[in-house]
Amino acid sequence: MEMNNINVVDQVHDPTKSPSGLRILWKEIVRDKLALVSLIFLIVISLSVFTISLVLDQDEIVKVDLFAINEPPSEEFILGTDYGGRDVFGQLIIGTRNTMLIGIAVTLMSGIFGVAFGLIAGYFGGHIDNALMRVLDFFQILPFTMLVIVFVAIVPKYTIFSFALIFAAFSWMGIARLIRSKALQEKELEYIKASQTLGTSHPKIIFREMMPNISSLIIVTMTLNLANNIGIESGLSFLGFGFPETTPSLGTLLSYAMNPQTLEHRWWIWAPAAVMILVLMLAVRNVGEALRRATDARQRRG
Amino acid sequence: MAILEVTNLKVYFPIKAGIFNRTVDYVRAVDGVSFVLEEGKTYGLVGESGSGKTTTGRAIIGLEKVTEGKIVFQGKDITKKRARTRELNRNMQMIFQDPYSSLNPKKRVLDIVAEPLRNYEHLSKKQEKMRVQELLELVGLSPESILKYPHEFSGGQRQRIGIARAIALKPKLIIADEPVSALDVSVQAQVLNFMKDIQKELGLTYLFISHDLGIVKHMCDEIAIMYKGRHVEQGTKEDIFERPQHIYTKRLVAAIPEINPRHREKQFQFRKEVEKEYDAAYDDYFNKDGLAYQLQKISDTHLVALPEKG
Amino acid sequence: MKFMWKFIVRRIIITFPQLILLSVLLFLMAQAMPGDALTGLIDPNVPEEVKEQRREELGLNDPWHVRYVDWVSGIVKGDLGQSFRFKMPVTEVVTDRVINSFWLSLVTLVFTYLIAVPLGMLSGRYNNTLLDSAITTYTYIGFATPIFIFALVMVWVFGYNLGWFPTSGSVAPGLEPGTMEYYLSKFYHLLLPALSMALIQTVSTVQYLRSEIIDTKQKDFIITARAKGASESRVYNRHIFRNSILPIAAFFGYEITTLITGSIFVERIFAYPGMGQLFIESVLLRDFSVVNAVVLLFGIAMILGALLSDIILSIVDPRIRIK
Repeated sequence: MEMNNINVVDQVHDPTKSPSGLRILWKEIVRDKLALVSLIFLIVISLSVFTISLVLDQDEIVKVDLFAINEPPSEEFILGTDYGGRDVFGQLIIGTRNTMLIGIAVTLMSGIFGVAFGLIAGYFGGHIDNALMRVLDFFQILPFTMLVIVFVAIVPKYTIFSFALIFAAFSWMGIARLIRSKALQEKELEYIKASQTLGTSHPKIIFREMMPNISSLIIVTMTLNLANNIGIESGLSFLGFGFPETTPSLGTLLSYAMNPQTLEHRWWIWAPAAVMILVLMLAVRNVGEALRRATDARQRRG
Repeated sequence: MAILEVTNLKVYFPIKAGIFNRTVDYVRAVDGVSFVLEEGKTYGLVGESGSGKTTTGRAIIGLEKVTEGKIVFQGKDITKKRARTRELNRNMQMIFQDPYSSLNPKKRVLDIVAEPLRNYEHLSKKQEKMRVQELLELVGLSPESILKYPHEFSGGQRQRIGIARAIALKPKLIIADEPVSALDVSVQAQVLNFMKDIQKELGLTYLFISHDLGIVKHMCDEIAIMYKGRHVEQGTKEDIFERPQHIYTKRLVAAIPEINPRHREKQFQFRKEVEKEYDAAYDDYFNKDGLAYQLQKISDTHLVALPEKG
Repeated sequence: MKFMWKFIVRRIIITFPQLILLSVLLFLMAQAMPGDALTGLIDPNVPEEVKEQRREELGLNDPWHVRYVDWVSGIVKGDLGQSFRFKMPVTEVVTDRVINSFWLSLVTLVFTYLIAVPLGMLSGRYNNTLLDSAITTYTYIGFATPIFIFALVMVWVFGYNLGWFPTSGSVAPGLEPGTMEYYLSKFYHLLLPALSMALIQTVSTVQYLRSEIIDTKQKDFIITARAKGASESRVYNRHIFRNSILPIAAFFGYEITTLITGSIFVERIFAYPGMGQLFIESVLLRDFSVVNAVVLLFGIAMILGALLSDIILSIVDPRIRIK
């Protein structure tokens, strides 16, 4: 009962708008046991993956060793070796790191572009909004996965960076649309009008006045996007259009399962990567969903 | 001396429809309004919601696009957005209706009040802080509160922050859009009297937009009554309250609550009479579209919207 | 009614620029790809002068807008170019694959709705019960599970370990086309990939149906129906079901996008000879005229699918039109 009362008070003050918004997001995560466990898991996994990968020698891991092909888990190789005699455990650790890093990079790149696009469309409205939305509509009807694959295949001098860029270029639309509709509401509020009459420039109003007020929506959307991007990146690497094979990634490990022998008899090569992708995605999503509930006062668990 | 001259101002909003989203009609929010503001005076713009009074104010300060007409501020034509120089913009400021949404909730009082200063004056951090503290003191808030956030203040205090922000640049004209309608009645008088005080102190001119005739009577020197985008009557405070000519004005004046209980019965009778007259004479005062006629001069200061004679 | 027609006309009108933009983008992509239309037609050892002459004859040296118009009019006539790998017209390469992909998609859609309707109904009707929690957990996890991981696990468990289903191809070798065994074998090969896709794809429909039913439950006309003494099962089967199922049915056009993306992974994992598999093979072998044709066909399918769903939805669900 007391908890409920606290909630009512919060609603009156509209917590997402007050400076303590971030603190409320944090509180909601702590209250939601599943999200808390997920967050702790993510912290532990990233810390251990990053420290272990510092110790591991990547060149040593990706070196082909024909005397140790497809070995089952043993004391020397905790998760055995793959068809090139490479240590699966080492690849799993470095692969997890790479997958997380590229997921974060793509999420940030597409997020920054999408947020700027949405804010500008929503803030100016009218013809500018109309024109920008047509561009967005067009991008959104494109066959995303296929175009990324084609671009990856035809780009000369293919690197991780060009992969991230291609990926981001086709995945900014969702967040842009969301931010735009929020910005359309926000710009009608009087503090925006006030800034306009006080001589503040449009870019300053958009990014210094308006953006902080929709920061919680941005954080929530980016978190949920991160979960998706980890999955999409793994899928593309699985098909052979993500990380090059010399750079370990979870999707690449999983793609060894395309060999029926490996799939049927050597689970230690692909199953850990599959579990890792799944658990990472679920954990990030749990955190994102808890954040979303926190920003929506009606759904808060309290 | 006239600080602001508005001539035949029109603000239309398009209504779009059809397959290609063509403009099929307009909402005539402001439909040919003219008035002159004298420096140091308070000009009241009164009307029910939807009468176009707020749109008029917003068009003057540049928040709405002017469809037609002319706005001259300090002798310069500012009808077009591009003609508004920074210097002119600085001399015209606005106090907003809603003290809750007009202050950015993510910013500290210091940043809110200093926003106009940062745009126009290049002060050092220390000077800026001092100016903000002075301003807060001027509006009756503690100078220590500069590091607080808007949600830590009451509605009346928030409106004072909004006023401090509006006067920070020492403007000549302030457009006050229903500055007290969101406040408790007990706080309203406080804020209004305070606005009068700083008017004297800084030599401000107010365009005071309100739906409350009582408040307008307390604040304004000249008053215009608006109805459906047009002025139905304008004149000095005495013209409007002592000698209302238009039936719409009469009805509004009659609706002001009477405080003295002994006069209540009389007031009630009077109101009934006015209501009867309003129903009977409606067609004489409004054209077939239900809009007000052109203004006719009936004295040097007093204009009323009446059908042309003959 | 008038409003609905306006929406439909407007929606159809904006489809044309979408199609044109898609074709321009693909044309530009084709220009950026190594090789040109000649690559599929000619022996690479032919001397350069002869090649140049052939290029001139084929109009490959014309300005880009002329080539674009040629290209588009070719497509309209059904000419998608020459495959460099198969040494035959792309249209012929694609035909069989399109048929295979069509059946896979159709069976997947059937499974999707066969799973979604009962689960959504149960979950919505008995919301906040143990059954509902179980279904909600399934949709939550299903939503976060990438299709390729799930399909891989399915083929591992049911294909290899249990041996219940074939693990590759679209039909058992050596069967005479047209016989009963042939069609049965085709269907048998479809089952596991279709089921894998459907089990993942269905979760969003289950979620939608559930919230729709919970919404409808509290509406006045349902309360009235109950008050008039309609039995609980009649209320659900007649009134609520009918109200919630129409928007669901209309979604199938949007599902095309999910189906296409899913098919790229699933056809690869099950070595199923459809369009998705053809796409990946062609990209890997750099047979770009085929790649372009597949992307074009998929792109058109997605645009038309969205168009169809938008129109159906605007008829069954007036709320959508406000958008």
